[in-house]
Amino acid sequence: MKPVLRILHLEDDSTDVDLVRETLAAGGIASDATRVDTQAGFVAAIASGSFDLIFADYTLPSFDGMSALAIVQQRLLNVPFIFVTGTLGEEPAIEALKLGATDYVFKTRLSRLVPSVQRALREAEERNELKRSEDALRASEEQLRTIIDCLEGFVWSANADGEVDFLNQKWCDYSGLSLRDSVGQGWRCTVYSEDADALASYWGSLLHSGQPGEYEARLRRFDGVYRWFLMRAVPIRDVGGIITKWYGLNIDIDDRKRSEDALQRSERFLAETRRLSLTGGIWRNAVTGKSIWSEEVYSIYEIDPSAQSKVEILLNKLHPEDRSRVKDAMDRSHTLAADFELPHRVLMADGRLKYIDLVAHITRNAEGELEYIAAIQDVTERKVAEQALNRLRSELAHVSRVTSLGALTASIAHEVNQPLSGIITNASTCLRMLAASPPNIEGALETARRTIRDGNRASDVIKRLRAMFSKQEVMTESLDLNEATREVVALAFSELEKESVVLRLELTKELPLIKGDRVQLQQVILNLLLNSADAMKAITDRPKLLVVRTDRVPEDHVRLTVQDTGVGVEPQRIDKLFEAFYTTKPDGMGIGLSVSRSIIERHHGRLWAEPNDGPGATFAFCIPLPVDSMPLDIACDTPSTNAVRAIGSL
Amino acid sequence: MKVRSLVSVVDDDESLRESLPDLLRECGFAVEAFSSAEEFLASDFRDQTECLILDIAMPGMSGPDLHSELIRRHQEIPIVFMTAHGDSNVRPRMLERGAVECLLKPFSESDLLRALNAALDSTKLT
Repeated sequence: MKPVLRILHLEDDSTDVDLVRETLAAGGIASDATRVDTQAGFVAAIASGSFDLIFADYTLPSFDGMSALAIVQQRLLNVPFIFVTGTLGEEPAIEALKLGATDYVFKTRLSRLVPSVQRALREAEERNELKRSEDALRASEEQLRTIIDCLEGFVWSANADGEVDFLNQKWCDYSGLSLRDSVGQGWRCTVYSEDADALASYWGSLLHSGQPGEYEARLRRFDGVYRWFLMRAVPIRDVGGIITKWYGLNIDIDDRKRSEDALQRSERFLAETRRLSLTGGIWRNAVTGKSIWSEEVYSIYEIDPSAQSKVEILLNKLHPEDRSRVKDAMDRSHTLAADFELPHRVLMADGRLKYIDLVAHITRNAEGELEYIAAIQDVTERKVAEQALNRLRSELAHVSRVTSLGALTASIAHEVNQPLSGIITNASTCLRMLAASPPNIEGALETARRTIRDGNRASDVIKRLRAMFSKQEVMTESLDLNEATREVVALAFSELEKESVVLRLELTKELPLIKGDRVQLQQVILNLLLNSADAMKAITDRPKLLVVRTDRVPEDHVRLTVQDTGVGVEPQRIDKLFEAFYTTKPDGMGIGLSVSRSIIERHHGRLWAEPNDGPGATFAFCIPLPVDSMPLDIACDTPSTNAVRAIGSL
Repeated sequence: MKVRSLVSVVDDDESLRESLPDLLRECGFAVEAFSSAEEFLASDFRDQTECLILDIAMPGMSGPDLHSELIRRHQEIPIVFMTAHGDSNVRPRMLERGAVECLLKPFSESDLLRALNAALDSTKLT
């Protein structure tokens, strides 16, 4: 069943309205008319309801059809407007059609009404259809535009000559340029100057060849920052294969570019670090035995990179004592599946020995096969330095030892026994010569003289011993207590490290120079450091902290303080500490601190001890500045190595 | 006339090399003195030496080193060691090694002669 046609009928005579409805009904069109006869009624009706058709009389007592048509036109209502009127001259009729009326039908010839309405409805339907498809097209264009504007990148098109004719909103947002300023060649001003020529010639080559392509270049953002873009261009051809247009998409690849740069940089950095630190990298597949060596590995092992069977060559270069151990580790590495360290030595062709540290990390590749990545480092210099340091340290320890009483007595005994032996032997000879007959006077005199000489020699030994323990002037040189301290710390460092002692150096800068015997003062410092380390040996419930501090104390002293967190000292025993042969250690001689105190006193200084507020004890000495206090720029002329050598040669 | 037995003295200490040979000569021995073990090994007197008075601690080859070397060469000269390092542990060790005696400096003439006689007797027995 057809829907009822809704009609707005502007007519002052309701009989005419009925007549029209009946005519329509007779023509098969059911209708429902709303009759109005004033302007107000008409406006209210079109505002409140939706109508399929409007009929209007040309003249009404208080309104007219042309005004009603004007209102409809003004409101852009797509509703057919048909004049149904008694009379209408030719001119007004043409005028009405011109103004937008759909048709006109005379009341006297209502037979035309039905065909007229049918045509009007058909046309209206066609108009609506067109409008709907226009709306749909507009909507889909808008949607496309939204999509294009949402794309992460700049969408653009250009004509066959490469003149850009469209760019999306993202471009305008990025560049800060309007579309008008960007089209044609306008966009070129944003290309980074170093990239501009290359990009122009590449774009030119694409236009020439008609091939799609892509290029990377930097484009300026509205704030002046340049970012890298990947620019893709694709040609569009017509049926004849002629290029009609180019479409393009520029994607921001700045972050990727940067990470590429960063990766390259870090690779360069790694290579440089390897070179500088003499570290080589080895990658080895434990299943296939295949391995890759970095350049440094070849140079560390001094193997020709072009050599075949480099692993064999390496195994042959290994120190004989290490060979089986290294082979073992290589064989076991694929069953072991754990990180390992493998320090080893290699013998070079010219007999040089190299110490190599190897640290291997186990991993698995994509196939699940075991691989390891190893770093190797030539630590020869470090080892040699360590050995030299160890030697120095043992020499220093020896110095301390010979000052200990046991060694001293042995040494004294030897020195005295030699001349005593001579005295007794010579005296015996002398007696024999005198007792002979005839007595050998000449020989006896000679042996007696030798007896006296040996006696003097023994006496000299005693004199020297006395001098050693008497108050003598110390060997003086200008010295920097900080530097002397640092040297001792360097010597004692591994000893302290072995005991897990945490050492903190708080050396006051620009400490005035003092005058003194560098080696003796260093012995004192070493003695204090090792005492403190000993005092912390059994400590487990707190950090073993050793603070070595230097400072200047009023008015004219420099002070060195050694503070530990060890077992501490009882206040009433402090003075005993400095007595010779008093010791708290089971294996101590008890002369370290007494010798130290006598050394400091010979420097006109003072050595003392005090308990800490917390756990542990503090030992300190202070030494007066020289009276004719030297300016700082005549700084210690003894290089640090001399002092170490001095200790070593004692 | 009785042939004097040759006693060789090896010691790096010069005053001993002066005094001990004189006393030994007074006691009726022929004496040669050497300042090092190497010098003694290189000397022609080595084969004629009937007793060696040898210092223990010397730079270069020590007394015990020389002793071992002589044993290696099957030249077993009786040896009397001397030392100024008055350590009582040394003497038993040296005797264990086959020394006739070990004298601790300073030693008396009688100790020296007793040791020498023991050394010379030991050769006569063989």
